[in-house]
Amino acid sequence: MLSPTLHLIVDGRRRRARRHLAVIAVLLVLIVVIFALTLSLGQSFTPPGDVLRVLLGENVQGATFTVGQLRLPRAVLSIIAGLSFGLGGVAFQIMLRNPLASPDIIGISSGASAAAVFAIVVLSMKGPAVSVFAVIAGLGVALMVYGLSSKNGAAGTRLILVGIGVSAMLESFIAYVLSQAPAWNLQEAIRWLTGSVNGAQLGQAAPLLVALIVFGGLLLSRSRDLEALRLGDDTASALGVRVSATRVMIIVAAVGMIASATAVTGPIAFVAFLSGPIAARIVGNSGSLLIPSALIGATLVLAGDYAGQFLLPSRYPVGVVTGALGAPYLIFLIVRVNRTGGSL
Amino acid sequence: MTVHSLIAKQLSAGYGDAEILHQLDLAVPPGKITVIVGANACGKSTLLRALSRLLPPTTGHVLLDGKSIHRTPPRELARTLGLLPQSPIAPEGITVADLVSRGRHPHQGLFSRWSRKDDEAVAGALTATKTEDLAERPVDELSGGQRQRVWIAMALAQQTEILLLDEPTTFLDISHQVEVLDLLTDLNHDRGTTVVMVLHDLNLAARYADHLVAMTEGRVHVSGRPEEVLTEENVRQVFGLESRIIADPTSGRPMMLPIGRHRMTTSQDFTENRP
Repeated sequence: MLSPTLHLIVDGRRRRARRHLAVIAVLLVLIVVIFALTLSLGQSFTPPGDVLRVLLGENVQGATFTVGQLRLPRAVLSIIAGLSFGLGGVAFQIMLRNPLASPDIIGISSGASAAAVFAIVVLSMKGPAVSVFAVIAGLGVALMVYGLSSKNGAAGTRLILVGIGVSAMLESFIAYVLSQAPAWNLQEAIRWLTGSVNGAQLGQAAPLLVALIVFGGLLLSRSRDLEALRLGDDTASALGVRVSATRVMIIVAAVGMIASATAVTGPIAFVAFLSGPIAARIVGNSGSLLIPSALIGATLVLAGDYAGQFLLPSRYPVGVVTGALGAPYLIFLIVRVNRTGGSL
Repeated sequence: MTVHSLIAKQLSAGYGDAEILHQLDLAVPPGKITVIVGANACGKSTLLRALSRLLPPTTGHVLLDGKSIHRTPPRELARTLGLLPQSPIAPEGITVADLVSRGRHPHQGLFSRWSRKDDEAVAGALTATKTEDLAERPVDELSGGQRQRVWIAMALAQQTEILLLDEPTTFLDISHQVEVLDLLTDLNHDRGTTVVMVLHDLNLAARYADHLVAMTEGRVHVSGRPEEVLTEENVRQVFGLESRIIADPTSGRPMMLPIGRHRMTTSQDFTENRP
């Protein structure tokens, strides 16, 4: 026989768990639908049957190239990069309890981006080496921003302001390197400035997927500690969380993910920044934001790239679309945070 | 219920180069309510943080049952020793039941699932703090007094035998202050929980404490029963304030009346009532 209070608690907990699962299921379905759409409808229409046959490895006249070589790599890369941005971004936002503390605002994406541009243009590096270089640079920038702002242990608004400064510096560095690269074409340049999945190849997706699984797995395994950190460092510590160790692990994992994705697609504008708050709006208080935010990230990149290619009067890279969504939200947040001090 | 001992030995701690606690000695009486008082910046909160692993000692030790708390795995420590910080943060929109259930964190392993025992602990904490009717309400919609009860409920769900609280009555009006202190006294009586808290109000401290600790400049100035600690001499030394101590007619505990420069009639009336 359950006491009424116990009953209430069990019911409430189950209701939250159901809602959390429902949100994840809906997002998964949404991603599958957009994925199917991008594979079958572009400049030309490919019947779903043909798409399926191409996916199964059959050679279909007129579809194998469009679907297999153009659309599929693009969609797969969009999903993996989106998952990485969404998950890494929300981890930072939760850890620092501020939606503005997203890696693309505080300079980590710019750091990875600058390193990638430098590696490709100046050092003539290629493939996974660029990613490794970008991850190391991203970590370096994260540590620098953290170090510069964590005087007296207080890392809040100051971290964000320092990060914005560092980010501006790195972006001018990117612009400078690009301007010094005569053979650099405009489309490639845009990749490093706003992010793009143009010219995606399936071969690029594999290392990115490995990074996502390793770093994402690490992050998800700390999901409960991350939830405890939302109550403040002191409370988390009182609940038995090793706050500093957890923080280091989260930074390494989130930066690893974000930088790996950035090294391939460029810093797709504001996806890391937008995913968490959108997920928070949808999930409410029903549970962890990590997985929903990752799925939102994938949805944003996939849908943003599709819109940039086919729904707008001329063709834009995905970063332009997500940037157009993110910038107004950034302004809204800054106004609101100023007023209320807001948290995620 | 086993009784745990919490002892600070020659404890020094601080922030950066600034040492706040200087070779402080303190033994928390098990199963009792200990209240720490002192002037601003004397190190009360720092002591509480050092007692609860939030702040590492520069020298000395904090011993829980004879073992240094810094050598105990954090999760294990958090099952015995709980802390409610001064300004905990409630995530936006979180419900009371959800927040209180966060107190179960140290009882859960990486793979262990939420169990009936966890649900019961949360239900018990809500009942003890009379917050069960608020269970599904968002914490940000509650009044200050309700919110404080909810935070205490979270600490209760943690089911620690020692509970440290940093100024649990700040920002509360007087009726809610009394309510919170009554609640903690119930907890002490019913569950035998050892309570250690920092309070600002000397009279409430003297009324609710079994053991009163007065701090000055990072050391324990004096400690003991409220009658021994709350004296005119000690108030002068600890707070630099002249005062009269009378017996609180409602509780029989000592009660401090401050003497300022204004609005004083003759002090004769008071001396007659001195204990």
